[in-house]
Amino acid sequence: MESNRENKYQLPELITHENVSLLLGEIKNILSRDNPVLDFTRVSRMDTFGVALISHLKNKYRDLVMVNMKSEIKAILESVSYRGPFPEQEEKKKFEVHILEYIQNKYLMVKNHIRAYMVLLVDEIYHTFGYLLKKRGVLPGEIGNQLFLMGYDSFPIVCLISFLIGVTISITSLDQLQQLGADIYLVDLVGFAMIRELVPLMTGIILAGKIGASIAAEISSMKVLEEVDALTTMAINPQKYLMVPRLLAITIVVPLLVGMADLVGIIGGMLVGHFFSDIPGNIFFENFFETVGLMDFVVGLSKTMVFGWVVVFTAGYKGFSVGKGAEGVGMATTQSVVVSISLIILLDCIFALILY
Amino acid sequence: MEAIIRVEDLSVGYDSRMVLNDLNFSIPRGCISVILGPSGCGKTTVLKTIIGLIPAISGEIYLFDRKADYISEQYLSHLFLRIGILYQRGALLNSLTLYNNVALPLKIHYPRIPPEVEMEMVHSRLSQVGLLGNEGKYPSELSEGMKKRAALARAMILGPEIIFCDEPSAGLDPITATELDDLLIELKNLFGMTIVVVTHELRSIRKIADQAIVFHNNGLYFEGELKALLALDDDFIDRFFLKGKANA
Repeated sequence: MESNRENKYQLPELITHENVSLLLGEIKNILSRDNPVLDFTRVSRMDTFGVALISHLKNKYRDLVMVNMKSEIKAILESVSYRGPFPEQEEKKKFEVHILEYIQNKYLMVKNHIRAYMVLLVDEIYHTFGYLLKKRGVLPGEIGNQLFLMGYDSFPIVCLISFLIGVTISITSLDQLQQLGADIYLVDLVGFAMIRELVPLMTGIILAGKIGASIAAEISSMKVLEEVDALTTMAINPQKYLMVPRLLAITIVVPLLVGMADLVGIIGGMLVGHFFSDIPGNIFFENFFETVGLMDFVVGLSKTMVFGWVVVFTAGYKGFSVGKGAEGVGMATTQSVVVSISLIILLDCIFALILY
Repeated sequence: MEAIIRVEDLSVGYDSRMVLNDLNFSIPRGCISVILGPSGCGKTTVLKTIIGLIPAISGEIYLFDRKADYISEQYLSHLFLRIGILYQRGALLNSLTLYNNVALPLKIHYPRIPPEVEMEMVHSRLSQVGLLGNEGKYPSELSEGMKKRAALARAMILGPEIIFCDEPSAGLDPITATELDDLLIELKNLFGMTIVVVTHELRSIRKIADQAIVFHNNGLYFEGELKALLALDDDFIDRFFLKGKANA
């Protein structure tokens, strides 16, 4: 490796992965000079890295003259060298328009999503009432299947979570209440918190993670496997066929889930009161029914019902708008859960502002 | 021969990306027409455009002597009851048994037909495709060939006038593929069905095709009888059928 003249660089016999970095550094030194020349006289062998180095120099530094190149090396360079634009240039071009495009694309994307979501919402309401009136467009027995999948499978987890939350909130509140000598207010606190807030919220989140993910995965994989197209071309409306049973099932399942979750959560609170603060069970329930009214239960139930519908609509929307391939199914499922939980918390906040 | 499908100045593609331009061809009634061409040339795109799953970029499609109006839901509902589609991967609903998959169009569109009649229709179709006795199986329990035959039974259940098949032999061994080809020929001969097959399987083309439509270089390359296509002295056609000719 030596420079015969100031602007000429003599390449070594071998150009391999071992010396490409060194060579590139040395070659760059002569590039700033007039009429730079690369001499290939000694070169007998190059590996892939060597070919990439020469190809890169040839493409990027048009003034660089390559001399005494053996025919076989010339042939390899001709056949394998990359002739397209340099990635750096593309990146730069992308970056220049990046911010404006990004904002515009995001705005259009959100706008399109909201519009498409609303269209699905209206369509589904129409299809559901259409089905209830005419009883057509859905496979008989499908609502029963969905009831089983949503209800039976969700009961244990919803009950367990509600019980644990009832216990946790009671233990953490009791400590503060005991300092004020107001142990009995545990009933009010647990009752209100569970019935109006925690059971609806936690049930909604569990539904999003369990039922929403399952619906999004099922519909998106059906779309990817052309099953949705097959339904369409059998003159079966896929949005009606797939969504109506799920919407009706969630409408039936949610009150049952909420009722059970409320009961189990309150029992959790009662057990804590009984064992940690000597509040007898009958006193706990007497106080509970004095302070928590039917309206509180209705508010909690209504909120959970809305959350359940949001979960099914969102999962359906994400499932139907899936991209291609297995990657799309995974993305639709994840997005369904994330969007559902975000919407549930947003709606919960709106409910809090309206109802309190 | 009377045309059951006619396409005029049709351009197809996805969004703004044009795949095939200015297509003009017709598909005769009661024949097996094969749409062929190299992979990625747009065969399936044309098929999906004709059945209304992908909107055409421009041009007109006439089905059953009437201009197709894919925007009208009513038109589409009527159209889908007159055609059957065999998808590349079968597209059976995985949550339903084989029986319910085949019976699905009946259960949805004719919910009041007596169960005995429904059962007779499903069993008759399953018998035609050689799947009788597998009614209780789910698609995951069927082989690829069985899935395709089951999908064909489902496509036939309402007695369509046209059956579209998207690469029916893809992924099948030669014996199963030949059985499926025989089935398509039987449907044409027995019921006078018009069958449109998208494929590039030479063995299948030679066996079933009456009519061939070839796409190449973003457009229509040939339209006519298979015999005329095979007799054509053309470099692309020669290359396309080279292996087939050698085999023959």
